[in-house]
Amino acid sequence: MFKDVAFGQYYPANSAVHKLDSRIKLILTLVYIIGIFFVKSYFGFMLTAALLIIIIIAAKLPMASVLRSVRGILLLVVLTSIINLFMIKDGDVLVQWKIFVITKNGVHTTIKMVLRLVLLISGASLLALTTTPVELADGLESLMRPLSLIKVPVRDIAMIMSIALRFIPTLFDETNKIVSAQKARGASLDTGNIFARIKALIPVLIPLFVSSFRRADELAFAMDARCYNATDKRTKMKKPKIKFSDVLAAFVVLSFFTVILLERYYFPSVGINIDAMIFGGLL
Amino acid sequence: MPFIEIKGVSYVYPLREGVSLKAVKNLSLSIEAGEFVALTGMNGSGKSTLAKLLNGLFKPTEGEILIDGVSTANEERIFDIRRRVGMVFQNPDNQTVATLIEDDVAFGPENLGLPRDEIIKRVNFALQAVGMSEYRKRDAAKLSGGQKQRVAIAGVLAMRPDVLILDEATSMLDPAGREEVMGVVRKLVEQGITVINITHNMEEAALAKRVVVLRKGRLAIDGTPSQVFSSSLFESCGLTLPPAAALAKELKDSGIDVGTVTTEESFAEGICKLLR
Amino acid sequence: MQAVEIKNLSFVYSKGTPNEKLALDNINLSIEEGSFVALIGATGSGKSTLIQHLNGLIKPQDKKQSSVIVGGKNAADKKTLKTLRFEVGMVFQYPEYQLFADTVEKDVAFGPKNMKLPADEVSRRVKRALETVGLDYNEFAERSPFDLSGGEKRRVAIAGVIAMEPKILVLDEPVAGLDPAGRAELLALIKTLQKEVSPTVILVSHNMDDVAALADRVVALKDGRIVADGAPRDVFSHRGLIMDIGLDLPTAARIVDKLEKKGITLSKRIITMAELKDALLSIFKKRAKKRGNNMGYAQINAVTDGDKNADKNVEERDEASLVDEKAKGDESSPVSDEKAEGDGAKDENDSGSAGGGEDV
Repeated sequence: MFKDVAFGQYYPANSAVHKLDSRIKLILTLVYIIGIFFVKSYFGFMLTAALLIIIIIAAKLPMASVLRSVRGILLLVVLTSIINLFMIKDGDVLVQWKIFVITKNGVHTTIKMVLRLVLLISGASLLALTTTPVELADGLESLMRPLSLIKVPVRDIAMIMSIALRFIPTLFDETNKIVSAQKARGASLDTGNIFARIKALIPVLIPLFVSSFRRADELAFAMDARCYNATDKRTKMKKPKIKFSDVLAAFVVLSFFTVILLERYYFPSVGINIDAMIFGGLL
Repeated sequence: MPFIEIKGVSYVYPLREGVSLKAVKNLSLSIEAGEFVALTGMNGSGKSTLAKLLNGLFKPTEGEILIDGVSTANEERIFDIRRRVGMVFQNPDNQTVATLIEDDVAFGPENLGLPRDEIIKRVNFALQAVGMSEYRKRDAAKLSGGQKQRVAIAGVLAMRPDVLILDEATSMLDPAGREEVMGVVRKLVEQGITVINITHNMEEAALAKRVVVLRKGRLAIDGTPSQVFSSSLFESCGLTLPPAAALAKELKDSGIDVGTVTTEESFAEGICKLLR
Repeated sequence: MQAVEIKNLSFVYSKGTPNEKLALDNINLSIEEGSFVALIGATGSGKSTLIQHLNGLIKPQDKKQSSVIVGGKNAADKKTLKTLRFEVGMVFQYPEYQLFADTVEKDVAFGPKNMKLPADEVSRRVKRALETVGLDYNEFAERSPFDLSGGEKRRVAIAGVIAMEPKILVLDEPVAGLDPAGRAELLALIKTLQKEVSPTVILVSHNMDDVAALADRVVALKDGRIVADGAPRDVFSHRGLIMDIGLDLPTAARIVDKLEKKGITLSKRIITMAELKDALLSIFKKRAKKRGNNMGYAQINAVTDGDKNADKNVEERDEASLVDEKAKGDESSPVSDEKAEGDGAKDENDSGSAGGGEDV
């Protein structure tokens, strides 16, 4: 039952996207996500999708690895689309059955919402797929550095984050092992009603907690033994440097953001016209 | 003056309210720089506790431990002591901090606050020393057990320690992994690093120049492998001879004295001498 | 009767990703009921993947080509899966990490309870299982498994598996991490388990001394393929093959090889220390006889060198010299070479694949 959980884990490849500065990647991902919320027309969504596909190709990722992370939110997508579809009642009515009304407007809003969610998750997963947990943590630490002025323990938070990320695969393996062992003793983990299932998880969760505490304990000793301290004395081996590729990436994503904004606020007719050109009567 | 001096050390674990466990009892021992010592004893004999006392992870309840003359209880020097007495633990998965191997090896030097160039130099050197240079950009989780422990050793070496303590570092490994790790250890011993190998594998203990056996927190036997294996106290410590030494003993009982046997090689040599 | 019948079993991990790995490559294996089989192979050779097929934790990927029949049940059959799990007791590596209940009794009862057995039968089995692994019921039943010593925890975990009274017991590195005393006790226990609980035992181990001492058949895997299958003596006598698989030899065999390099030839079929001892003793007896007692004295005196046991040695040497002189050279092995059956180390298991069609 735990086998299908995808953590959007790092996908090793030797690509320009992998080598981008993690701070740049973090910021650009944020820009991309904000950008998606400004997209209004199908034209805008096509632009976004095109950008996404370019990045996926540049990152040498197989499409499947990106789609896998989308699969995780499939249920959410389906549920919200159903709600959307029936809740929006303005515009031309397409279908009506008792209290259920589907309007043209509702259909468009729903499609756009689905596109938005899928593009959003895919974009965010690109970050996780092309950036190691350590780089992510380092990037976040570096971006949050100003917060240490207001006494936020940025170094500790960054260390906790990177260790948490580092242990996800370990705990994942561990969970699989425990599940196997308990299944081998006849445990049913995926049958019965919700209460039965929660109860059935106890033989998995308790050993998992016990082992996590043991691991945490041992890790703490191992870190102490290597002189861990979260003070300013600490230095870093890797000093991020902004490269040309980082500037180029920033240029591409920021151009995308600008185009989206322009299309929405200054030239809305462009999107409308292009949408009409492509989809014609469907709109 | 010996490099490590353990003077009348006891250590008490507080378990819960009112219950405590005395894991190490009035132990005195000294280890010279450059020695290769195996520390052994059955589970619960206090050997791992002693290891954690040596680099100040635990502080003695009684007595004191001096590393090159500095007490492990001296909080001001604790980082210096931990740098000089490096430690590799049992579970390879629970001592890697970073995902990428080179990042993990850099962890110690980063904590010491070394300049960047120096960290890079040390990481290169340490990975080279354990033969893991080509793996530096790999994901630590995807290595074999033996490779993970070699990376852990590199993480210690990058701090340029004087002493390397292996706390049952091979007990979770398969024979190939064990061989890999012991190969690295042998090389380090040759280079003059003091190595304390905590193990209950007697074949491994036999590789050391000196074997120290603990029983119920006390020092039971201390000597060369052959002295320890032939000690009358040996079995009462819950240990069993390595197979070759056990056979030598049996043969001796049948009237054939193979001589001093600690390893398979010395057994074969002994038999040879008898038959030639 | 075959306890296990595996046909054309292959398995690929992470299919279609860059981490794709062929874990099993067309495995054919049948295991006779009542046998003690050791499964050996380097880490990553496919042992764990193979054993997890035995109780359906992993299902055959290609259901048309391959089949896994255990105790007459198809491991891919959902209807009989539960029963199958109770018939194949699986002790994983470091099984103590799977303990979860607040008392030893409850933890051991987990399996029997999942079998939906009546309460009195459950408690009978818990008692029996604990006694079998050498833990006193009255002393341990109410204790928390988390307060026990490492060795005791492992026994409780094993009790939890044998309480299901499985017909087949699979043990994955059962003595890993234990101290010498714990190892010896547990190895002795495994033999008892075979006699009293599970007639068929499959042991996964890296320790060839344990394999040589316990198993009556060795199946060796390399890169997901069976590369050797036969009596331990036969398999280990193929030195080149064992090297190629990346495995150790039993200590006794290693010493035989070391002696051979020094010009002393013993049988390559020696695998236990007891056999090595017998072989050496008989050489010494023969030597003493052949060279005459004077030579024998000189040798022994030279080596014992002032040892106060020297006199005793000489006396025994006298007795030794009375032994028949026929024993010669490498025939001094306790095992006759005639017993070697052809090529014992190549896919013998193919012959057993004819009778596996018991459908469920």
